[in-house]
Amino acid sequence: MARIAITGTASFLGGRLLRRLVAARGADGVLAVDITPPPTTLHGVRHRMVDLTLPGADRRLLEVFREEEVDTVVHAAFFTTPRRDAAYAHELESIGTLHLAAGAAAAGVRHLLLRSFTGVYGARGQNPSLLTEESKPEADSGLSWVRDKVEAEAHAFSFSRRYPGLGVTVLRFATLLGPGVHTFYTRLLSKRVVPVPLGYDPLVQLLHPDDALEAAALALEKGPSGVVNVVPRASITLLTALHLSDKVIVPVPHPVAYPLAELWWGSGVGEAPSGFIDYARFPCVADGEKASVKLGFRARHSSRDALEAYLAYRFPEAAHRAPEARRASESEAHEVGA
Amino acid sequence: MSGQAKVVPIASRRARTKRREPPAGDALLRRRVVDLEQELSDLRGSERRESLLVALARAVSSGAGGMTWASLARLQRALYFAWHSEETDKFGADARFAETIEPFFDFLYAVWWRVEATGTEHVPASGPGLVVCNHSGVLPYDGLMVQLAIRHEHPARRLCRMLALDMFALLPVLAPMLSKSGSVRANPENAERLLRQGELLGVFPEGVKGVGKRFHERYKLARFGRGGFVRVALRTGAPIVPCAIVGAEEIHPVIGKADWVGRPFGLPYFPLTPTFPWLGPLGLVPLPTKWSIDFGEPIEVTQYGPEGAEDPILVNRIAESVRETLQQMIDGRLARRRSVWFG
Repeated sequence: MARIAITGTASFLGGRLLRRLVAARGADGVLAVDITPPPTTLHGVRHRMVDLTLPGADRRLLEVFREEEVDTVVHAAFFTTPRRDAAYAHELESIGTLHLAAGAAAAGVRHLLLRSFTGVYGARGQNPSLLTEESKPEADSGLSWVRDKVEAEAHAFSFSRRYPGLGVTVLRFATLLGPGVHTFYTRLLSKRVVPVPLGYDPLVQLLHPDDALEAAALALEKGPSGVVNVVPRASITLLTALHLSDKVIVPVPHPVAYPLAELWWGSGVGEAPSGFIDYARFPCVADGEKASVKLGFRARHSSRDALEAYLAYRFPEAAHRAPEARRASESEAHEVGA
Repeated sequence: MSGQAKVVPIASRRARTKRREPPAGDALLRRRVVDLEQELSDLRGSERRESLLVALARAVSSGAGGMTWASLARLQRALYFAWHSEETDKFGADARFAETIEPFFDFLYAVWWRVEATGTEHVPASGPGLVVCNHSGVLPYDGLMVQLAIRHEHPARRLCRMLALDMFALLPVLAPMLSKSGSVRANPENAERLLRQGELLGVFPEGVKGVGKRFHERYKLARFGRGGFVRVALRTGAPIVPCAIVGAEEIHPVIGKADWVGRPFGLPYFPLTPTFPWLGPLGLVPLPTKWSIDFGEPIEVTQYGPEGAEDPILVNRIAESVRETLQQMIDGRLARRRSVWFG
């Protein structure tokens, strides 16, 4: 039986997807490719250690894919949080994908599914209100975080062009937020005080991990389908999200915010480089039409659902979450009534 | 009659539950409390203003000493949701926000500029439409006034979404304000998507060249971009409604420009008017001229078909003819106008 190989199984989404595939296809149908073994709770999952950053990783991957009869590869080894050692991130994300695509093409893999982010479109003032897959990703972004992802996508597609047997799907996920998610966004949401650029309130998309997994599973079913945006049902404005999570907001004029954020990041305290301020000023909202046409994927959760699910997970003691409290008391009443 | 007919089954159902579970009075009471809580939270949702007052009162009564991060967050939250709804549409339009700022712009519309709108019947009552206006007045007041004219004077009371210049969509404060009042950024993707949804759009093909005109160039239409609006109209088959705005050129007469001042702040130009920047914030008060907004007869482009959009000569020709029509409408109105202040 042909196997599905997953890279980055130690990451949140990779790990969740691994569990889901194990449940669907059995432990023998999947192969974890990562530098750390999958959790011991997953019995019998085959694991191969490959470091994507090492030279010669493509040959090693070729051997692994041949030996394990892999016909589908899910590449989820990407950083959701910007890293200070940009050189390592570049090696893993851009060069790692190059190695992976080369190994997959040589091993005759049929389908390479790449995890990407809607952030690659870049938050620009000129963006249309809904970015379709035809919009160009921002290859000259000031953020190495974005550039590496754009490069990774380009590597995958260039191999797919040269080796027509290798089909590529790139799922551009909106910002993940939900139970179990730990990214720099969630670190910002854990603070009491959140600085925001003064006078801006763009729409943001927060994707519930369940929806992300559903889309990935559908994409594996449907086969290669090119670039597809995976977005939540509805967007939410940034300030609505922050106010719903009861943050104290400190507006900072943006000409001051950029150098301050850069200083903060450079001194090792900040959560993200200053380029991310763009995402708090301008919208970067993707359109999910193609996902529903090509994959038959319709998100079940809205951005607000994702936010509330995350808040309920992160701050279970907080009493301000009226909907949850109401639902709980309702079920209690029903129990008593029945 | 029907109301009575509805009441009977509910009462009987309630009676039945009572009969079935005599000792469950406690549970019923609890359910009643839950219902009341639900009602209360619904009320809170609909009456955010009250919760703002409550939050303010709480903040004042607790004083500076009683201020905690949590109470500050609650206060900020109440302040924000007092004039924003928790949900927007796909393009960022916020109904509550529009409601909140409407009185101010209604004042500008009815009292300050005494806008006189004619020919609103030319705006399609349903389906897509492209309202093409002349741009002027430094700040995008003209777009908001066209929006209000269609909202107030058109029988269908349609929302006309304005396509905002990139520069306005980049400026702090103005950017969220425009997007929440229903404007979207001016680019062909947005225009085509909205027209295909059958929405009414307002565009200013002159762009930055129009809005920052000097005073001596007033009411002379600048070049109509590269005809992007015509291409969108051809692709979607939407009728083009020319709309001449007279009066907006004089609200901030630009007597000079100091673009080097605005450049570090990302402004494409920095206007000098008789009042700005000399009077500081007072210089931002627009002059109370008399406005007229005339909608002309719609120009149909369906006969060229969507493939016409690929023909630059045709696109240019249509753009030019729309420009001429609009210029004639403006000139006609100017010839009839006796005074800048009284029309």
